[in-house]
Amino acid sequence: MNAPRIHGIVLSGVGGQGVLSLAQILLEALRRSGLHALQSEIHGMSQRGGSVHAQVCFSEAALTSPILDEGGADLLIALEPLEALRYVSMLRIDGHLVVAEEPQMDMAGYPPLDDVYAALKAVRGAHLVDTEDLARRLNHRQAGGMALLGMASKFLPVDIAVWRDVIAQRFEAKGARITEKNLEAFKAGRGLIQNPVDLT
Amino acid sequence: MVQSTLALGVEAVGCAAFDAGIKGAFGYPGTPSTEGFEAVELLIHGARDGRVAQWAANEKVAYDLALGMSYTGHRTLVTMKHVGLNVAMDAYTNSALTGVWGGLVVLVADDPGMHSSQNEQDSRRLAEFAWLPCLEPSTVQECYDLTFRAFALSEALQVPVMLRIVTRLAHCRAALARRATQAPASRGTVPESAIQDWVLIPANARRRYVDLLAKQPRLMAETTPLNRLVPGTTRRGVALSGMGRAYFGQLLHENPALAALPRLEIAAYPVDPALEQAFLAQVDEIVVLEEDYPVLEERLGLRGAARVRGRLDGTLPRTGELSPRLLKDALGLEAPAGKTATSLELPVRAPRFCDGCGHVDAYEALREALIQADAPETRVFGDIGCYTLAAQEPMAAIHAVVEMGASISMAVGAALAGRTPSVAVIGDSTFGHSGLPALLTAADAGVNVTVIILDNRVVGMTGQQPSQALDQVERMVRGMGIPDDQLQVLLPVPKQHDANVASVEAALRHPGPSVVVFRRECIQSIRRGVLKDHDRQERERCTTEVCS
Repeated sequence: MNAPRIHGIVLSGVGGQGVLSLAQILLEALRRSGLHALQSEIHGMSQRGGSVHAQVCFSEAALTSPILDEGGADLLIALEPLEALRYVSMLRIDGHLVVAEEPQMDMAGYPPLDDVYAALKAVRGAHLVDTEDLARRLNHRQAGGMALLGMASKFLPVDIAVWRDVIAQRFEAKGARITEKNLEAFKAGRGLIQNPVDLT
Repeated sequence: MVQSTLALGVEAVGCAAFDAGIKGAFGYPGTPSTEGFEAVELLIHGARDGRVAQWAANEKVAYDLALGMSYTGHRTLVTMKHVGLNVAMDAYTNSALTGVWGGLVVLVADDPGMHSSQNEQDSRRLAEFAWLPCLEPSTVQECYDLTFRAFALSEALQVPVMLRIVTRLAHCRAALARRATQAPASRGTVPESAIQDWVLIPANARRRYVDLLAKQPRLMAETTPLNRLVPGTTRRGVALSGMGRAYFGQLLHENPALAALPRLEIAAYPVDPALEQAFLAQVDEIVVLEEDYPVLEERLGLRGAARVRGRLDGTLPRTGELSPRLLKDALGLEAPAGKTATSLELPVRAPRFCDGCGHVDAYEALREALIQADAPETRVFGDIGCYTLAAQEPMAAIHAVVEMGASISMAVGAALAGRTPSVAVIGDSTFGHSGLPALLTAADAGVNVTVIILDNRVVGMTGQQPSQALDQVERMVRGMGIPDDQLQVLLPVPKQHDANVASVEAALRHPGPSVVVFRRECIQSIRRGVLKDHDRQERERCTTEVCS
């Protein structure tokens, strides 16, 4: 008998972009879907504009390890293209990555942007999204993160109603308008993935 | 399955302490321990039932606060990071001799891999050193359950109990099932008949040390049920503790064949030698999987009964964190082939100062003032906080960072060797933590040392907790013996740059000790409005009273 598979998601970006916040939404959505889920994150100095990454594991069976092995992640959600490249080797051969194209270049030695995009496009399963353009179209400056989550949602065994509840709850304190804006961004992202692969 | 809430491992410890009926929690912020205190603080503030959560000026003060509360017969929690235990070491070690009255649990968060620390010391060694028990959970739920157990153990044995976690567990978020909350209750203050136990004059201390050693067999009897030997069918086994246990548990799920390996699972120290013997009798070779120092590995190796593999023989790296991949390699398991990493060179994205941070303006002024004072080669002694980021290129503005408060004393030491001007850079909270006695000595030594206090009004790096030095820095500096004319308070903004350079230059040229305070609130704290209420109250107070 085969044990239920353990699924993994890696999230990456730059301190201040909301990587940990997205990871928490994911964790809650998976948990409400009746799955065992763990999230790993690192706090402290890394938050000051440095690379930030978090991991979420989930399974139908109980979990004890909060971190994934290289080659063990099904999905990479990257809020920044260079920060996506750092974690490509965390993905399974058949894994997918959803990546914001908008770069954060405020660092020494950022490679030529065209090289970064070319390297990403060379990875099978890469879905790049022009988050700047999306934000303009939705008139919502911070739409990127939610749109990426929407894209990611097409790969995850979470019902749309659960996503709605979790997102709405997350932004409850900020009012109905902000909540609507985020749900809209999530939906827009969801529409960007046409043929999802069922990971389970 | 009960899944009442999501919590970080370190938060689970705080929740458990609250639910176990502590009267108070104390601590000093330090990654990855901070959120443990904050979790219990939140619960205590919500409960309004007379409990207290109090940040302390440093870990030693926090520990003594907890010990004092224990003396009154109440349960108490004290939290700190691993290097914080060094600061609390005197209190911690001696509290093993006094013993505790109300249950006292010390949460120590180790940082293998040094994600946010200057070393990766293993607190299990300090539990052994002090003859105290140490519980080591491996999951978020165990963080909660073992904290409960730690309080019971502390009261049963009348000793402080260490709860040791590591970064990966501290910052693992998972479902947590909580128990019913107990109200805080005291068993009464230390009775008169036991007062001498708490007075560690040599005659009593000798007796209490004998008592502590005499407790050891009972202590082992209490920890042993938390450890277990799982028999297998092969002559090759594994010894597991903490995250080693967590990672192996996951591998076992993925590779059920691993169940053939006899395994020793450790969740509590000290470990019963009989259990070790029983395990070693079943194996010819073992791999030891534990986080940080080779504590179990050395113990088992000394028995000479089996070939012991781990960090000492190169099976695992000598330093740094465990990982699922390292476990697979050590156990000879196949690792999945993933996607190929990019060949593009990816430079490190280092953390940096926030845009608009006042520390940057202060460092700019210092750099130029050193040039103006004909001392551009001056070595600057730094300290622990956000401002440590200035050690990186291109700023390279500080040239030594060791531990909390070291900046001032090291600068005085260098000045006493004749290297002047000598400069220390320290934050307001670090100044309150360990800088005060150093400044007292600096004033007494009378050498040319310039102490730059970067006062951002909060403990910035760990999440803008309130600084106990808030609004007190000048009074503290004067109180340590720095004359009024050698204390300057400057505003680190670009507009004030030239004036600030001149002020720092004057301090550098002064032949005796001088202090320059750069004060501007942390911009993260402003954004979050951390001090809004405090400042409003101060303004209101100032309209009705004469303010200094």
